[in-house]
Amino acid sequence: MKNRLKVLRAERDWSQGDLAQRLEVSRQSVNAIETGKFDPSLPLAFKLARLFERPIEEIFSDEEQRS
Amino acid sequence: MKVHVGSPAKYRFEDRFLFFIVPLFVLDGILGFWGFHYHHLHPTGALAVLCATVQSSPIIAFIFIVALYLAEEKDEFQKAVLVQSMLWAIGATLAVTTFWGSMEKYSQAPHMDIALAPFLFWAVMIIAIVANRWRYR
Repeated sequence: MKNRLKVLRAERDWSQGDLAQRLEVSRQSVNAIETGKFDPSLPLAFKLARLFERPIEEIFSDEEQRS
Repeated sequence: MKVHVGSPAKYRFEDRFLFFIVPLFVLDGILGFWGFHYHHLHPTGALAVLCATVQSSPIIAFIFIVALYLAEEKDEFQKAVLVQSMLWAIGATLAVTTFWGSMEKYSQAPHMDIALAPFLFWAVMIIAIVANRWRYR
């Protein structure tokens, strides 16, 4: 699954550590989600959506749907 | 902003390890060295069962505190990495012990003490955790 986390994070000038602190997860978790190595659960995806004040589909996109 | 270093579940795991598992290992070492190595004790019956329980208690307790950590950890990614590492370790332990069992049966290979299986499991587990940390660094 692709995502715009890096862009959204950069817009706010947050480091991976800053985002991890806000999500109450480890920095490795943010890195793994950001690089597409790990897909977050729905509760964590909703948490991200609330944090960035965007709908989930604006943050995450289904690669199969794109192709 | 303060960077999130470890989860409360991880700190609780470390505390349990330090104050519960380490003393059990020390007790285990004392029993093994003082009782079996120095005094050459060969307990029988209920005492033998008690000695076996004490000897295996750190490993059993360690499995228990890892299970507690998995239940308490809120960080789903850390949980997934640990479960992934455990699957590697379980697979490797089963593969090696099954292979060695067949070797003993058909090739007269020397007997492997089954009590060594947890050490093999944790050795592979450590390698898998390090490999996963490097992969998701």
